[in-house]
Amino acid sequence: MSLKRTLAITKKQFLSIGHDPRSLALMILAPIMAMLIFGFAFGTQPEHVKVVIVNHDHGTLASQFINKINHTDLDITTSTNKSEAKNQVKNGQSVAAIIFPNDFTADALPRLAPRGGQLLPPKGTKITVFLDTTDQQLSAVVNSSLAAASQKMESGSGSSLPITFSTDYAFPKAKDAGYINYFAAGIMVFAITVFTTLLTLLAFVGERTSGTLDRLRITPANETEIVVGYELAFGAIAAVQGILLLAVAYFVYHILIIGSVFLAGLLIVLTAIDAQIIGVLISAAAKRESQAVQFLPFIIFPVFLLSGIFIPVQSLPNWLRPFSYVLPTTWAIDGIRDVLLRGWGLSHIWPHLLILLGFAVILSTLAIVGLKRNRQ
Amino acid sequence: MNTDSQKKTLTFDNVSKTYGDITALNKLSFSIAEGELYGLIGPNGAGKTTSIRLLLGLERPSEGRIEILGHSPSNRAHYSEIGYMPQETSLYIELTVEENLELFGRLYGLDRSALKNKISELLAFVELTERRKTVVANLSGGMKHRASLAVALLPEPKLLILDEPTVGVDPELRQGFWSRFAEMQKKGITILITTHYMDEAAHCHRVGLISSGHLIAQGTPNALLKESQAKNLEEAFLKLIKREAIK
Repeated sequence: MSLKRTLAITKKQFLSIGHDPRSLALMILAPIMAMLIFGFAFGTQPEHVKVVIVNHDHGTLASQFINKINHTDLDITTSTNKSEAKNQVKNGQSVAAIIFPNDFTADALPRLAPRGGQLLPPKGTKITVFLDTTDQQLSAVVNSSLAAASQKMESGSGSSLPITFSTDYAFPKAKDAGYINYFAAGIMVFAITVFTTLLTLLAFVGERTSGTLDRLRITPANETEIVVGYELAFGAIAAVQGILLLAVAYFVYHILIIGSVFLAGLLIVLTAIDAQIIGVLISAAAKRESQAVQFLPFIIFPVFLLSGIFIPVQSLPNWLRPFSYVLPTTWAIDGIRDVLLRGWGLSHIWPHLLILLGFAVILSTLAIVGLKRNRQ
Repeated sequence: MNTDSQKKTLTFDNVSKTYGDITALNKLSFSIAEGELYGLIGPNGAGKTTSIRLLLGLERPSEGRIEILGHSPSNRAHYSEIGYMPQETSLYIELTVEENLELFGRLYGLDRSALKNKISELLAFVELTERRKTVVANLSGGMKHRASLAVALLPEPKLLILDEPTVGVDPELRQGFWSRFAEMQKKGITILITTHYMDEAAHCHRVGLISSGHLIAQGTPNALLKESQAKNLEEAFLKLIKREAIK
């Protein structure tokens, strides 16, 4: 083995990288971005979990209890109406409704016997928690925060208080939903997004480098027809993939499918269309396949970590959260979970569909304008 | 052929194209008459492909005016009257020859039965009938070029633009190509062909010699030989370049 020849090969590689500043920038930025997003996403616990409290207590104990709740963990709003609070949970606006009864204080403290001054032990009281368990990480925060508040109350009073919790479920069918049910929607969307973006990216870079795109553009086919033609193809492929993934999730992992499979499929198809157009857009910045592939980490890491696949969007730092909402995948995953685990229909899901459709329209317009601008 | 007395199929009028500091075309002017076989001849980097990209509306000129079949290049109205064979094969290599022809035939708006007949006719013309079901990736280089020519002929073009169609093609196939081009020209198709093979210029009615984005001479091959007092077109080209440099 000749060291001279070996070093010549090494030098050639550095020269190649040096002549391609874009690759060099990507090599430096991609790992830093990955490290930062991983750290911020996994380094935090869910916080500011939205709950609504209904305090009907005639005494002061419920207020004391509420004051003991960690207000960083739970983002508390109040309501005077039990049904309204429960509806907030059913609509996904809050993770839990925490209800204190009228005689919460009276039943928690020792009481006087009806005949005579003898003190009787407390009757015992309960806090009703109307809980949404479709996101177990968030419902766990509610349970642990309430348990911690209860402990603080006891240590403050110096004796045990007869407070118990009674849990009602906003979505009873998803009562015992395991983590896989939560995870499945995310991984389906992730798989389809990465697969579709990569395929379109490579296909479009191929179209550009091989000259077929130019050849298409001098036929009567216009840019809109080319982009929409691609969208239809990848939409159809995604529909088949979506059905297969749902089948695997259902038959292998026995995930809950409470809502409409068709609606979940529609969300998956829209996700694929959005991913496909992102591929077309990125392809404009890549001169060859090797460059195109270097862009992938910029898709994979944000989608993987910021879309709520593993970590609820709510637990991301405030400054990072807006990035989640500009990812179509965040809306897709949220929508699919709502359909599969909450059983929500079109009346609840339409904003998700509209947003994904909006992404498709905006991104398609950008892709079409980009293709037209190449004529300049 | 006298272009002044005939209807012009395309015109370049003082066309320039710059990319940053690089001038690819510098006040290029020429026109081609209907039914003419015109060769734009010049070395690599002379501006031949840039001229074609501007002509096809794939890029816009920095200055000057281009007219093609009576329209601006960006006007799509004439797209179905142009056949284009790029320098690269530019076919979908994962599709068969027939599938490529079907795709482009549909884009040109040919109906199913007309397309079927057209494909058979074109495959016979480029001698690829036996290979119609072959995936393009599995064809030889020469066959790919022939398949590419068949795609260019699909719309029954009034104007056929061929960008270095004989690059990397063996001499026998080059001869075959030129026979086909002559055959098409006889059918009334106007042909613009670019090449850097000077000997191929002899096949053209008229030749434009391009260097550094500028037309240095134009005329019939015989007229150019006479003008430069050269034995062949390669010598003529070199003499004309020298003359241009002295100017």
